[in-house]
Amino acid sequence: MESLLEVKGLNVSVRTIAGNMNITDNVSFGVYEKEILGIAGESGCGKSTVVETVLNLIVAPRYIESGQVLLKGRDLLTLSPRDLQNVRWKEVAYVPQGSMNTLNPVLKIEEQIVDAIICHSKLSKAQAKEAAVAALRSVGMSPDVARMYPHELSGGMRQRVCIGLSTALKPAVILADEPVTALDVVMQRLNLETLARLRDQDGITVVMVTHDMACHAEICDRVCVMYAGRVAEIGETRTLFAEPLHPYTQGLLRAVPSIQNRHSESIPGIAPSPTAWPKGCRFHPRCKQAMEICSREVPPLREIRPKRLVACHLYNAEGGARNG
Amino acid sequence: MSSSDRPRVRTGGIFTIARLLRESPILVVGITIFGLLVLVAIFEPVINNALLHGNRSTELGLYDVHMPSSREHFFGTDERGRDVLALQFTGLRNSLLVGMLAGAMSLGISVILATVAGYVGGRTETVITAITNSWLIIPSWPVIAILVLYVAKVSLLDLALVLAAFGWPSATRVMTAQIASLKSRPYVDLAKLNGFRSASIMFREVLPNFLPYIVLSFSYAVAYNIMAETGLRVIGLGPQTVVSLGELINFSLYAGTLAQGYYLVALCPIVMLVLIFASLNFINLGMEEVYNPRLKKITGL
Amino acid sequence: MAEPLLELNNIAKVFTRASFGVGGRKTVQALDDVTLILPDKPQVFALVGESGSGKTTLSRIVIGLEQPSGGTALYRGRPVRDWVRRHMKQYRREVQVIFQDPYATYNPFYRVDRVLWSVVRNFHLAENKERGKRMIDGALEAMGLRPQEILGRYPHQLSGGERQRIMLARVYLLRPKLLVADEPVSMLDASLRAMFLDHLQAFKDLGVSCLYITHDLNVGYFIADQILILCLGRTVEWGESDHIVKDPLHPYTQELISSIPNPNPEKKWTERLQAEKIGLNELRQARTAAGCIYAQRCPRVMDKCRHNNPPLKRVKGHEGDSREVACFLYE
Repeated sequence: MESLLEVKGLNVSVRTIAGNMNITDNVSFGVYEKEILGIAGESGCGKSTVVETVLNLIVAPRYIESGQVLLKGRDLLTLSPRDLQNVRWKEVAYVPQGSMNTLNPVLKIEEQIVDAIICHSKLSKAQAKEAAVAALRSVGMSPDVARMYPHELSGGMRQRVCIGLSTALKPAVILADEPVTALDVVMQRLNLETLARLRDQDGITVVMVTHDMACHAEICDRVCVMYAGRVAEIGETRTLFAEPLHPYTQGLLRAVPSIQNRHSESIPGIAPSPTAWPKGCRFHPRCKQAMEICSREVPPLREIRPKRLVACHLYNAEGGARNG
Repeated sequence: MSSSDRPRVRTGGIFTIARLLRESPILVVGITIFGLLVLVAIFEPVINNALLHGNRSTELGLYDVHMPSSREHFFGTDERGRDVLALQFTGLRNSLLVGMLAGAMSLGISVILATVAGYVGGRTETVITAITNSWLIIPSWPVIAILVLYVAKVSLLDLALVLAAFGWPSATRVMTAQIASLKSRPYVDLAKLNGFRSASIMFREVLPNFLPYIVLSFSYAVAYNIMAETGLRVIGLGPQTVVSLGELINFSLYAGTLAQGYYLVALCPIVMLVLIFASLNFINLGMEEVYNPRLKKITGL
Repeated sequence: MAEPLLELNNIAKVFTRASFGVGGRKTVQALDDVTLILPDKPQVFALVGESGSGKTTLSRIVIGLEQPSGGTALYRGRPVRDWVRRHMKQYRREVQVIFQDPYATYNPFYRVDRVLWSVVRNFHLAENKERGKRMIDGALEAMGLRPQEILGRYPHQLSGGERQRIMLARVYLLRPKLLVADEPVSMLDASLRAMFLDHLQAFKDLGVSCLYITHDLNVGYFIADQILILCLGRTVEWGESDHIVKDPLHPYTQELISSIPNPNPEKKWTERLQAEKIGLNELRQARTAAGCIYAQRCPRVMDKCRHNNPPLKRVKGHEGDSREVACFLYE
């Protein structure tokens, strides 16, 4: 199947006093139509950076060293600012982390949505108003909300407004960075269901970044697990959760405390920082199944089974043990 | 790999300065220029001593009046028999002095009032804010003009005092808000949980985080006060016994230096003022670059 | 029977916001008739509620940073107000806090050592500097940190997980009798939470009771012996955590439990939430004097519920387990 959005070999680095440091290393994955792809990983693994790169939102001191972001075959990173403006919001929308707190407190919700619509399209004000109400409806909110101010709504509702804002111009893809992290559990469910409904009813593709594995389990079709700036594993949610192949994914799934599973254990050690990436596989210092080769060579991301990609020496010919 | 492999960023003293240099060249340029100007101002007595063979630049009637440019008096003399070149240095010194004195005084008032208002809050804050806002409405220029016209002898210190008396409200308003916000940070709550008392918390927790803003405010205040003083002088107000750069501009206006072709004489005080304001602005911009991570072009670890 | 460690009786808290313009004064009833008793034996008590439930306000009352508008707050038999006024040092020694945000609890101006040294010095935990250093090293190591990697650094040089663990080390040094933990793991990654919570539970063996405040019932169940559920300032249900989670009685508790995402893709949410009903509640219209606080959202609401406030009492058939529910369904 052709991918709608494809990230190829993305390398993003940051300029620091101690030299240039790598944030994402050769990150590649594809997103298909009408699916929800989850990007999972701990903080600092680079997942937010990857999503910001899609719409070229990287500014100094960070910079893109190399890589491509293909939307229906067109490389977004080579577009001129004007062309990129046409892609933003219209074809690819972005809901940044904590966006519920960035709504303008002195404007009504309606005015803010209309602002965004007019900025990115040629609609008239009246048409924009209609589109705004439609956007709110698409996330299950009544039109009354349009005439309210942000402080009159709770955090959870503001987040839904932001998701609605992103659907205003009917984009093909919505990028959501930690959309439910700061919300109460009921609001969290509501927002996740909203995203799922956008996929089911409007056919919108969603890329959701979050460290909460349970959220991925609830609505994602496929999950991409990142660690220390690299992709560790990509696969369909069901099979990935049932049988995680990469040791990091295994550790991650074991670490989630839940009502269903009162026992959980965390991954030993601390996540490395960009100032001192381990050589070879970046997970090897914390990996119980590490081999000699892991500290020397970077494991390539390979399709070990149909629809499952893993970057781990355990599954390479030289590594041995298991095989597709 | 564990965090022991993380390179330790050496902090303190010389390393902080070296880091500042790399992070914000504009800050360094600003500090250098301003520093040079201050140095010249500090050494003004020495310079003028050498220039005038032991005489003071402000002494009246030392030389013949209205002498044109010559080897002895590179910029000529003014209507009171003073060497104009020597006066440039004196002017620089006095302008900087007035600016810094007035800046320091108004900042002192602002910090004290803002600390009390911001930390105590409640009715105290309301009262202080009300006084501050009312003071802002007083038309400062007319009042200063009147004071200067009617008071017989105005010294440099008096001038600085008057400027400070009208300049304190604007910084106070912003600082009060800043302190009120700093007060509500969780680390202040934590200090309360250690059993520390209010005053101790103010000094040890809140004020240190406030220092960068105080430095920024100071450089703004200095620039503002020099501008205010210059403005007064250029329209002819201000004690003529205290020579500042503004006074020199005033002199060159009525003495017709431009018309007579003495371009250097006319430009000198202006160039010095431009250097003062530019360097202060560079310092402000540089400090913002250092403290606002979003403006950074190169990050710390 | 030993006197309870913490006794909150019928706590009420009203916030008034004076406004000079249209509308006049606005009052918000953050807490309404909340009773919570922590017995003397060290245990973990979870206070669960969504944002706006008043749980943070209640925690601030316990710590003494806020005063209740009604009801009494007693710590070891004496009012908290009394403690704060006359025996503050001792109260601060016995009652401590861990906050939610591992970034904001550190003063960025100082190194992280200060957080630990200030308790050693302020509460005279060590006779001299060497002993103090050894205590600090020991506390850090007990939390799984290496002193040489932590001491001497500034907060921004450490990760969120490390910072929260330093806060744990601070508690370890103090050994308070009561620890109020306000959402301490919500800003940590899932992989770090289990380890943090393990430490917190281990504190029980050191004699530290914990009042754990959270909106995440998952975590509450993981760590707590008892759970109390708050909804918009009122107690809805409380009891032993096993009972509450495996057999929730109040419809709000049931909604909370069913909303927790299940990390098993085979078992997803089956029904969609009724979005419109939840929207109404969020608009804070529910905080009216008469009627059950959950009436507007309750799937099993009865006419009675809209006009009367159900009292908190024991439930028929569950008298054995110490639990109480405020719901007319069980009358």
